[in-house]
Amino acid sequence: MRILLVEDERKVAKALQEGLEAESYSIAVVHTGDEGFLRVTSEPFDLAVLDVMLPGRSGIEMLSAMRSQGIKIPVLLLTAKDTLADRVLGLDAGADDYLVKPFAFPELSARIRALLRRGRPESVSTLEVDDLRMDVVSHTITRGDRILELTAKEFELLEYLLRHQGHVVSREMLAKDVWKVAVRHTPLDNVIDVHIGRLRRKVDNGLSNKLIHTVRGVGFVLKAGASQ
Amino acid sequence: MKLRPLNVRTRLTLWYLAVLAAALLIYGASTSLFLVFQLRSQLDHRAIEDLETIKGLLSFTSDGRLLFHSNYQDQSYPTKMLDPLIEILAADGTLLYRNELLGNRSLGGSLQPGDMSGSYTMRSIRLSDGMLVRLVSRQYILEGRPRLIRLGLSEESLWQRFREVLVGLLLGLPLVLVFAGLGGYFLARHALSPIERMARRVHEINAERLNARLYVENPHDELGFLGSAFNETLARLERSFEQLRRFTADASHELRTPLTAIRSVGEVGLQKSGAAQDYREVISSMLEESARLTRLVDSLLTIARADSGQIQLEKTTAPLVPLVRDVTSLLDVLAEEKSQKVSVAGDDTIQVQGDGTILRQVLTNLLDNAIKYSYSGSHISLRVSRSGDGAVVVEVEDDGPGIPPEHRDKVFDRFYRIDKGRSRDMGGAGLGLAIAKWGAEAHGGHLRLFCPNGTGCTFRLVLPQLPATDAQLSSATITPASESADQPSTSLANLNVSPPIT
Repeated sequence: MRILLVEDERKVAKALQEGLEAESYSIAVVHTGDEGFLRVTSEPFDLAVLDVMLPGRSGIEMLSAMRSQGIKIPVLLLTAKDTLADRVLGLDAGADDYLVKPFAFPELSARIRALLRRGRPESVSTLEVDDLRMDVVSHTITRGDRILELTAKEFELLEYLLRHQGHVVSREMLAKDVWKVAVRHTPLDNVIDVHIGRLRRKVDNGLSNKLIHTVRGVGFVLKAGASQ
Repeated sequence: MKLRPLNVRTRLTLWYLAVLAAALLIYGASTSLFLVFQLRSQLDHRAIEDLETIKGLLSFTSDGRLLFHSNYQDQSYPTKMLDPLIEILAADGTLLYRNELLGNRSLGGSLQPGDMSGSYTMRSIRLSDGMLVRLVSRQYILEGRPRLIRLGLSEESLWQRFREVLVGLLLGLPLVLVFAGLGGYFLARHALSPIERMARRVHEINAERLNARLYVENPHDELGFLGSAFNETLARLERSFEQLRRFTADASHELRTPLTAIRSVGEVGLQKSGAAQDYREVISSMLEESARLTRLVDSLLTIARADSGQIQLEKTTAPLVPLVRDVTSLLDVLAEEKSQKVSVAGDDTIQVQGDGTILRQVLTNLLDNAIKYSYSGSHISLRVSRSGDGAVVVEVEDDGPGIPPEHRDKVFDRFYRIDKGRSRDMGGAGLGLAIAKWGAEAHGGHLRLFCPNGTGCTFRLVLPQLPATDAQLSSATITPASESADQPSTSLANLNVSPPIT
């Protein structure tokens, strides 16, 4: 999967490049909108990540030019402005998704996965990792032979972690996708932590192979094996 | 060439002059006319007297001829008397007599209707040689026969007087106007000079010197009123600037704390050559701080938007109790962790009109605050009720340690924490209650703190009554968002200017 990354802040560009390459994407990095437009019109890419505020041609302008050239690859916009008007402007120009800086890398990675998956919906009825198994249809969860009793919220939370298994999930993502809260605030972070703690007790208590891991300062990840 | 717009002083003077000139002209004209009227009535009076005198001097001979004692000047009549023109006619209009002064000029021509009525008639005529004459005539019965006596007095001297007066007035007018103009100009300058002083003073006032005020001599006159109004505006501006300054200072301080942590953790981490695990520890710690920084910046942005009135409420009408339950169920786990019990009581039919997202945040902040500062195992109760005047009241009561009186006024201030060290560990930046208060005020309501007996506190959120028509609609009624455009802009700037909590 080839991704074009247009970001003028070199430090950020480098970090994103390394992070995405670690997830086995092939990344082309450019630092201006003009350069980005040149590359995207001459080479095949599966997705583009555009910073909105670029020197010269802005991300939005580059996006409009791309779309008018008939380039239909998914585009994810990155911006420091997050008013409703900015969002509308970006989406009108033909962006598929929108991420506000500062964002958590896991969220960028999750959005990219979702955009690349678009059009190929997952129709799995069971999600599993190691010996943890969730039947999405009948709402039953088992760890080994043991049936886990979860509250509705814990079920949603675990389902989300399972769907993103192996990838770190940030608190922002949980707030937005599981709690459906647009405005993030401190109380909610505490609520998320409490729920994760309870879920962890139910899933991992008394077992040596822990599945739910905390990545300090980033978020949580569900995976088999040691966290580090 | 285009005229430059005149300044107020010149315009005032010109207006004053125009009005004065018009007034003087009207006055002069009416005075002159009055003079003419007056002189003419004197003339008439004189003419009648003369007429009577002349009648007495007439006599007829036995054969009926008219005899006129023309030496009447020798009689008791003084010489100041103007020489009258005299004409005597018979009833059929036959000329009987003309005096020498009249000569062969006709005095009034043929008989006029009314001449023979027996009463005085007066008119102004012009003789054939152009002389203006006041003519008085009357019919007398002389020796048994009706005779019309006409007597004319020259009006020349009358018009002469009139012209003299008029010329005098017209000559005086420009002189008067020049003096009046000068006087008016200086008067206007004097009257406007306080404004100039004010303007000079205002020029000296800028963001750094907002504490300066205009000197108001008499607060009850027009200029004093202007000055007072300006001073009030200045006071408000000064308060806002002061708030802004404090807010900026507080915000930088708050930002500095996580930045310092990131920096020192990074620097120390770089110095030690440890195992990968140690570096992970360092990076994680830095990430935690940057997450805190992010949250803080988000809050600051929210406040900045509210301050600048950028947040438009999207109002809907909805029952309040379900919203309260929603918030309670969201935060319930936090209370459970502290073995606290949260109860909700209230009438499910009570509705409010408001922005769901903002009201949710207000309630979340209040409940979170109560959970955070109450003892483990305590009880928090949320009550929704309607007050006497129809407003909706939400009370969040805890039986925590209470808030010391000296802090009560300040809990709604931005970045205010009662126990600085303790609170930061709990993740709050001291903005929760400030945002809650703003949310209440943005809805036209208010948020106040009551600590009745020192233990436990009640935050009382009051939201204004629904408009009557909306209250009658079904619970699912949603008012279109566009209506909210009419709402007064919602600004956090009101936060600290509002009256202190009672």
